[in-house]
Amino acid sequence: MSKTNRRDFFSSVANGLHGAALASLLGGDLYANGGVFDLTPKKPHFVPKAKAMIQLFMNGGPSQVDLFDPKPMLTKLAGTAPSKELSFAISNGETPGVLMPSPFEFKKHGKSGMELSNAMPHLADCVDEIAVIRSMYGEHANHEPALFLMHSGRTIASRPAIGAWVAYGLGTENRNLPAYVVLDDPKGLPINGISNWQSAWLPPIYQGTRFRTEGPPVLNLEPRPEIPTPLVEAERNLMRKLDAAHLAARPYQPELDARISSYELAARMQMAASDALDVNKETEATREAYGLNAVATASYGKRCLMARRLVERGVRFVQLYIENQIFDSHGDIQGSLNYACGKTDKPVAALLKDLKQRGLLDSTLVVWGGEFGRLPISQGLGSKAGRDHGPNGFSIWMAGGGVKGGTTFGSTDDIGFKAAENRVSVHDLHATILNQLGVRHRDLVYERHGLKERLTDQFPARVVTEVLA
Amino acid sequence: MRTSYFLLFSWAGLIFGQSFDASAGAVFKAKCVACHGAAAQGKLDLRTEEGVLKGGTSGPVVVPGAAAKSLLLDHVVTGQMPPGKVKLTDAEMDVIRGWVNKLPAEVAAVVPEHEVRGILQARCVACHGSGKASGGLDLRTLASRLKGGKSGPALVPGKPEESLLYKRIVDGQMPPEKAAKALAVELPTPSETEKIRAWIAAGAPGPAAVAAASGVSEKDKQFWSFQPPVRPRVPVTKGLARNPIDSFLLAKLEAKGLGYSREADKLALLRRASLDLTGLPPTPVEITAYLADTSADAYEKLIDRLLASPRYGERWGQHWLDLAGYSDSEGFGQDDGVRRFAWRYRDYVIRSLNADKPYTQFLTEQLAGDEISDDWRKAKGTVGLDILDRLAATGFLRTTPDPTNSAERGLLSERMNIVADELEVLTSSVMGLTVGCARCHNHKYDPIPQRDHYRLSAILQGAYDPYEWRTPNKRELDLALESERQEYDLANAPLQADVKKIQEQIAKAGEPFRAQLLEERLKTLPEEVRADLKIAPEVRNEAQKYLAEKFKSTLTINEQELVRKYPEYAREVQPLQRELQTLRGKMRPKPHVRVLTDNAEPSTHFLLRRGEPASFGEVVEPGVPVVLTNAALKPYAAEPLFAGTTGRRLGLAKWLTQPNHPLTARVAVNQLWMRHFGRGIVSSVSNFGRSGMAPSHPELLDWLATEFVARGWSMKAMHRMMMTSQAYRQSSKVDAALLAADPENALVSRMPLQRMDAETLYDSLITAAGRLDATAYGPPSELDIRADKEVTVKAGKDGFRRSIYVLHRRQTPVSLMDAFDQPSMTPNCTERRRSNVATQALHMMNGSMTWELAKYMAGRVIDDADGDRARQVELVYLRALSRRPAEAEVKTGMDAIASFKESWPARLTADNGAEPRASTAGWLAVANYCHAILNSAEFSFVD
Repeated sequence: MSKTNRRDFFSSVANGLHGAALASLLGGDLYANGGVFDLTPKKPHFVPKAKAMIQLFMNGGPSQVDLFDPKPMLTKLAGTAPSKELSFAISNGETPGVLMPSPFEFKKHGKSGMELSNAMPHLADCVDEIAVIRSMYGEHANHEPALFLMHSGRTIASRPAIGAWVAYGLGTENRNLPAYVVLDDPKGLPINGISNWQSAWLPPIYQGTRFRTEGPPVLNLEPRPEIPTPLVEAERNLMRKLDAAHLAARPYQPELDARISSYELAARMQMAASDALDVNKETEATREAYGLNAVATASYGKRCLMARRLVERGVRFVQLYIENQIFDSHGDIQGSLNYACGKTDKPVAALLKDLKQRGLLDSTLVVWGGEFGRLPISQGLGSKAGRDHGPNGFSIWMAGGGVKGGTTFGSTDDIGFKAAENRVSVHDLHATILNQLGVRHRDLVYERHGLKERLTDQFPARVVTEVLA
Repeated sequence: MRTSYFLLFSWAGLIFGQSFDASAGAVFKAKCVACHGAAAQGKLDLRTEEGVLKGGTSGPVVVPGAAAKSLLLDHVVTGQMPPGKVKLTDAEMDVIRGWVNKLPAEVAAVVPEHEVRGILQARCVACHGSGKASGGLDLRTLASRLKGGKSGPALVPGKPEESLLYKRIVDGQMPPEKAAKALAVELPTPSETEKIRAWIAAGAPGPAAVAAASGVSEKDKQFWSFQPPVRPRVPVTKGLARNPIDSFLLAKLEAKGLGYSREADKLALLRRASLDLTGLPPTPVEITAYLADTSADAYEKLIDRLLASPRYGERWGQHWLDLAGYSDSEGFGQDDGVRRFAWRYRDYVIRSLNADKPYTQFLTEQLAGDEISDDWRKAKGTVGLDILDRLAATGFLRTTPDPTNSAERGLLSERMNIVADELEVLTSSVMGLTVGCARCHNHKYDPIPQRDHYRLSAILQGAYDPYEWRTPNKRELDLALESERQEYDLANAPLQADVKKIQEQIAKAGEPFRAQLLEERLKTLPEEVRADLKIAPEVRNEAQKYLAEKFKSTLTINEQELVRKYPEYAREVQPLQRELQTLRGKMRPKPHVRVLTDNAEPSTHFLLRRGEPASFGEVVEPGVPVVLTNAALKPYAAEPLFAGTTGRRLGLAKWLTQPNHPLTARVAVNQLWMRHFGRGIVSSVSNFGRSGMAPSHPELLDWLATEFVARGWSMKAMHRMMMTSQAYRQSSKVDAALLAADPENALVSRMPLQRMDAETLYDSLITAAGRLDATAYGPPSELDIRADKEVTVKAGKDGFRRSIYVLHRRQTPVSLMDAFDQPSMTPNCTERRRSNVATQALHMMNGSMTWELAKYMAGRVIDDADGDRARQVELVYLRALSRRPAEAEVKTGMDAIASFKESWPARLTADNGAEPRASTAGWLAVANYCHAILNSAEFSFVD
């Protein structure tokens, strides 16, 4: 590397263009598949409706028949034995429960008259913004594979998360913050841990970055106060020089590339992140609206508010998780859903209203849902009865980013067991999400082993245009 | 359930009223009796109602009242029957369905004894069991229930109303609520009480025989990982094969027209091997010595030296602790209680690995250290290290979160979660099986029926009896080394003396008040009693003793009451009490050992339907997964070598450590392989089942497994073999062609370039800085939790101890290591993941620890280089990057230090400190340089 070249290289590293710069310096492609990887904004396939996405992941599998999908038939058939097929849907070798009506009441809301249960009184104010898909279906009844399916399109552990695909396909608008931010629950990692936001075989620069939601969101964000400011920069320049030489001698090592990126991003984040994540800069009214002043909602409310601040600043993909698996209502369906909704309903509604009021909802796709739904039959006895996992039919909703508010799409059978009309697969959902972000799912590919890998893999997938404006 | 079926039947009965001949019989006649008539295929005759109800060789074909559960409907609906093209119409199926549904459901079956036993175990045996048999009553067996206790037999067969067992429950006398709460026992539900009644009413029948169907076929057992490894022939290859590992790897590479990458540089290899085996970078002295050794077997000697280093056990101990799910805390709630003596297990692991204990012995001690010998039972107070280690070894099955010290969190369900977690640790780490799903249902992908899960957990029933539970604080033995006891006594003696002094002061201060209070109380009693009670205890006659006992509560004066009643007393003693508390806080805990021991007569173990704590299915005896049983393997059997233990875990250890066990050696060598080469031969290291990944090199795996056994299960022998292969010596360099040919390095055509894991990074930082306190073993270093919630480690006088000796608390991991993917043990970690994100860079660049270490490192570098700037740069390279800098690098370093130096005087002047400014600036400039080097990619990545 000549001296001039090296200077060019460093300046381009500082500009976040090191990937491209390196590739040209090395006189070829960085990777076998010919790609050059960085986080600069990429041109979408067509003009997108949404620039960013917030995924409100509801761990555990929210019960559709108790939240979004009223089933009067369950009241009629209460206490009767399920069909053979439904009996088979529960875990092997178990005595199935009986058909169990929802303890919640459903009412029509908004101009659209969308039906929602009284478990989510706050969302009821927002029904005209959301499109509920009642006919989702998955492939697996266990949390781990179902989570992998929902996040990566397959039930296996080794594929990139949708956030990583989006970061790969679109880069980020704000180079001072990660493209893909994860706000997980301070009480602990969700099932599957950091694999939920992994880049897998996509280059590691696309994996999700976790921000802490208790205490300072990012530890050690500020340079050491005892080091004189010019020296912070001088040290960093030395590191860049050392790392560039180290990398140049080790081509085709994506981890090294990602590591340089992570240091560059860290330097820029110093300025941007403390501001982006400081919810104290919000007005008292906003903080109150998100539930920051109440014990039940404070934790999730803070994450919702952080999410808004992040997309406002151009972060591409923000993913929120919720403690343990609070929607995993195996027992006490009423109590457990009241608990889960009590933590999330108000903040979620506040987020939608806030995005709308700020004119951000049009360009932000919000997706709410878990890894599966639940069965219409009881699990356990009496008032403590809950419901087992039900991947064959469940509800999710989308809002903003070109989604037609007030829509209810698809249906399950009479008892809410299986998706019936207008069935929507997880691949369809993924295709729809990418579509709203301006990406054709068939064309967002990554070459690997001579194959074109996609989020939707080789599965048939269609954009669910019926829920789009 | 019963009510609901009842509803269904009556509903069906209204609609379908026809006779057999008019309904189902007609359909059978039309579509089925050609085969299931006179010919009675499968011994099934569908011509008459009796015939249908009788069933055939497949057993009953209808379940009266439940069409959905009937085999006949299943076969018809799924189209299996009738064979051929002519099927039943939907209408015909409805007719049969209707007929079956209207058949009167069978009379509720008699409640089997085992269900009642389960209920009694869940609700009663905490008091009426092997432990204490309150009122002389043991409710665990039919015989003991009939025998009863002090109040007579608990049971009168056939007469629930006369049976105390039932009466006391119905009356609400039993279980007593207060005791139940304290013991975390839930009260029987009405349906459970009803079951007890029904069982007694039916004459209290005894236990029935256990069903025996295994649910596993011979075909299931043929899957490769369930068959013992067979030693394969070593292939012949063109390339250089230093040992059979190379032969197997090269055979595959050569078949694709590939070969190994070239050998890595000598120093790259030194750094890789040192970090790999000891978790620490080589010291400058070691670097010089290794470079000077030009003998042909210099590398082999290096590996031997590293294997002999006591640091080896610390590095590989961490790998094992990952598998075990080691933590120093209980893991629940904000307080996340510290396990005071967990570290003994950690020390046991390190010592065992350093001693290269055969893997079989290592496993046996961890599964059943308490069952090998009963020498510890006879010991009093102090024991030798051998005994202590054997007991501490059982910590392997004591790692998972255990909140049951709190009764609120100690319910049956929680206890069973703990057992399930321990089982997951055992099976994922040692057996390469995922059995967790079989807790609730048969495994969906592997031949592990639900019963196998319970057979395995029955092995733990002696140690973890969920019905007669022992909380963590009851699982310590008052045993320690003589030296520990002496140290403890010595350290606490002065404190103890102070405590005694203060206690005396408090007692003295209280005397007048006690007397006053006693006087007041006695006033309420008749004169003659008063006099008797005033007699000093030691000279009381029988009558006075009786009175004293009777008025015990009057005579007893507790401290709190005094404080409440006399403010002047309170003012006087409260400072003393506080002092007492402080002193007690300073005292060391009495050295104990955490241990897993058996209850020799554990409760009955059940298969739990759906995994629910009180849904008692069949009785299950201890055993191993059926799919792993075959003629070549000795069957599982408990080995109670002495009284007081079940021997179930020792039996498991014996079964697992058979030389031809299909999984034990394979899983172990695959783990070792993954740590050395970056990925396992079976890449799903904890899942060798059908849902796992197939081995990339099956012959190599089997060769290694059999070699491991042949070498006496020596782990060091395996390290040596893997690391002295040519495969391990390869460079990590890769080019476009190689990347295309072997994109994920599944063929091992190179070594992986990898970022250090959290612990190696931490240990390397403190080592490079010269701040490593190499003290081994003993209680862990404490944590320092800053106001912003950053968690750091408290340094001792001699620096920082290695990461493995840092307190590992689940809720407060050390922030730096947490950022670099140190696993949270849930319940264990069989494989590390590595992320690469900006928050890591922030910790390294802006964290206080790296900057403090950089300053320390700079100080030592300056001390050792005598003001020679070039030598300073060289020392930084040697200590941090394990190599000498190139000329250009020296210049870059010197220039950088010189320029860094310019920015400091202004700051130092502004701070107006006492230090000499010029020399301090020089030191801090070197610190900046060290800081940058510690932050470089080269430092944290291993070629």
